[in-house]
Amino acid sequence: MTGIPDPASFRAQARAWLGTAAARRGETRAWGSGDDSVAVFENWTEDEERAHTERIRDWERTRYDQGWGALSWPVELGGQGLPPHYEGLYRAEEAAFDVPQRTEIFPVTRHLVAPAIGIWGTEEQKQRWLRPMLRADELACQLFSETEAGADLAAVRTRAVRHDDGWVLDGHKVWTSGARVATWGVAVCRTDPEVPKHAGITVFLVRMDAPGVTIRPIRQMTGGESFNEVYLDGVVVPDADRLGPVGQGWKVTLSVLAAERLDSGTLGLDNADRAIELARRCPAGEVQRDLAADLYIRTLVQRVIGLRITAALEAGTAPGAEASVGKLYATETMRRTTDLVLRLLGPRLVADTGEWGTFAWTEHLLGAPGYAIAGGTDEIQRNILSERVLGLPREPR
Amino acid sequence: MLTIDPALLAETDEQAQLRSVLREFFADPGADWHTLAGQIGVPGLAVPERYGGAGYGFRELAVALGEAGRALSPLPLLSSAVLATSALLASNDDEACARHLPALAAGTSTATLGFGTVDAEAGRLRGAVDMVLDGADASLVLIPGRTPAGLTLFACADGFTRRPRRVLDPSRPQALLEFHDAPATPVGPPGGAEAILAAARDAGLAGLAAEQVGGCEHALEATVAHVRQRNQFGRPIGSFQAVKHRLADLLVEIEAAKSAAGYAAACVDAAPDELPVAASAAKVVCSAASVRAAAEYVQLHGGIGFTWEHPAHRYVRRARTSEVFLGLPHEHRARIAALLGLDDGGANVA
Repeated sequence: MTGIPDPASFRAQARAWLGTAAARRGETRAWGSGDDSVAVFENWTEDEERAHTERIRDWERTRYDQGWGALSWPVELGGQGLPPHYEGLYRAEEAAFDVPQRTEIFPVTRHLVAPAIGIWGTEEQKQRWLRPMLRADELACQLFSETEAGADLAAVRTRAVRHDDGWVLDGHKVWTSGARVATWGVAVCRTDPEVPKHAGITVFLVRMDAPGVTIRPIRQMTGGESFNEVYLDGVVVPDADRLGPVGQGWKVTLSVLAAERLDSGTLGLDNADRAIELARRCPAGEVQRDLAADLYIRTLVQRVIGLRITAALEAGTAPGAEASVGKLYATETMRRTTDLVLRLLGPRLVADTGEWGTFAWTEHLLGAPGYAIAGGTDEIQRNILSERVLGLPREPR
Repeated sequence: MLTIDPALLAETDEQAQLRSVLREFFADPGADWHTLAGQIGVPGLAVPERYGGAGYGFRELAVALGEAGRALSPLPLLSSAVLATSALLASNDDEACARHLPALAAGTSTATLGFGTVDAEAGRLRGAVDMVLDGADASLVLIPGRTPAGLTLFACADGFTRRPRRVLDPSRPQALLEFHDAPATPVGPPGGAEAILAAARDAGLAGLAAEQVGGCEHALEATVAHVRQRNQFGRPIGSFQAVKHRLADLLVEIEAAKSAAGYAAACVDAAPDELPVAASAAKVVCSAASVRAAAEYVQLHGGIGFTWEHPAHRYVRRARTSEVFLGLPHEHRARIAALLGLDDGGANVA
């Protein structure tokens, strides 16, 4: 691409390219046969997770190599040098195509970790890490939460102690998705226990195959294993892999978390669409029709919220509150999807009769609560909205 | 579904300017129709130039309605500039449009649309229609009449009595109109009233949604300002999570309402095929948001919010009145269910 195409012609070009590289959506997923999974969190063995990751990685490499990846990154860092919102324009087009559904680790790497490296990394780190991450050659997971540091993330206790020209890490991280397929883990560590908690934090990129790193899957309430706990026992990390200054790790962490909050706009829409389709095909009474119409309205509104953000970005203005409410709106969509499906399927939701597309919804029912917790609980989201958007006084901390 | 250009959901500079002029205008308790119509030209915003309007679109009119709704203005924008004007335009009756629209656009006359039906015989109307918005003051009333050719829309300027009803929301007057062989002229084709009413109703819903969003925004802003400065237990009540989280949830609901209302307003001109769903969706989402916003407006102001002198109750009155006007939310969900093909699910069992 030379120069910057205007948004409309960019979208047309993206659509044209996607047409050559992927099949249109909807032509591929028939009702009543084939895969009926509506899992919110995949229930994969390690081998399956690796196989799926490779399939997604192939697509990501294809689009990167053909000039449709890393759109808003500077050319010298391996990107296309387009304005930031062009990624959103591309994604709006890609949504109409049947491309491998990205697992969590891909957006975590590209939308959360890579931008933090872009902000905080040294020139050497940017050269070394960004291109492989943007091309999905190397994936990065988050080593953030701990058993005693969830909503209060700044309370992390994983220690990093200086040793020769590097650091030695000891601690225990939880709720890491993609740990088994990641090359790097972004670890939030305490380097100074003597200062107030936000001031004593430093962030490191840890090789997940380093000696002393042990990964154990966590079995979540769905029965599957989509997350891991990661033990760090005397893991040696060179100082060259420290991201940002010593003691400035909380700011680095906040850059990652802000990106995470804005990355959740389309959450839950696929399954809500499917539940409405189920309502079309099930005998439905007045209550079910009312719930289905209400859920349809939610999907419409959630998409319009997405279009408003696109419109603001296209106009070159910063999106307002509409960009911050997305995650709370989406978790409610997921709950209401469960409510509708339960009223449509009744007993067939809770006992497996072998019928296609019925008991499979238990994966949604059990997975949906996870998103009201992951990436900042609904309660933390409400704190953020009330303090940063409405300007209400902060909690006493 | 959802084919509109995202750019239509963002406010243009011109619209932002109009908004700021109107915010100032409606903030004045003496805001009058003469200035709104004659000087700012609001009733003519969405009227084509050939009928004496300014030839902008419904989105510009929606900006004005949002500001009117924010201030709970009693001026007859929704009845005259939206419902009656949309009905005339939807009638495709060039003669009726040429006769009535220039005066409506200039605001020298106002009109309203009744949704009940009367009997029509040889150009005379007989019967009664109740709860007509601004019915006591409108110079012209558009009303569907039963004729041998079917339901036909009529325009009627005299020969009827008007009895104002006592209403929950005094800023939204309603009247009983009784027609005693009132002379009337048909608008649009004989038997064509239902299509005209459907179009006018959907435009009305889009306009109402814009008003509802304006009211929501006022309620949220006033409540946020209050909880920031009201101290109890030695700190602002807005620092308590029990208060903050309610307002965060309200913000989410208002952003949803803005999205639904903006989409419906854009559909009026740009995507008429999507308007029926968009208008009903906006009714559902904006009604829920306004009722909640008004309830929080009262509740989070505590005792002062329950007084007659405080404006919060006026927003409760408007929110509930708007919730009922042009169909209740559950009726609009039923309409969407039908439009989605959800009403005959039994015929096609999975």
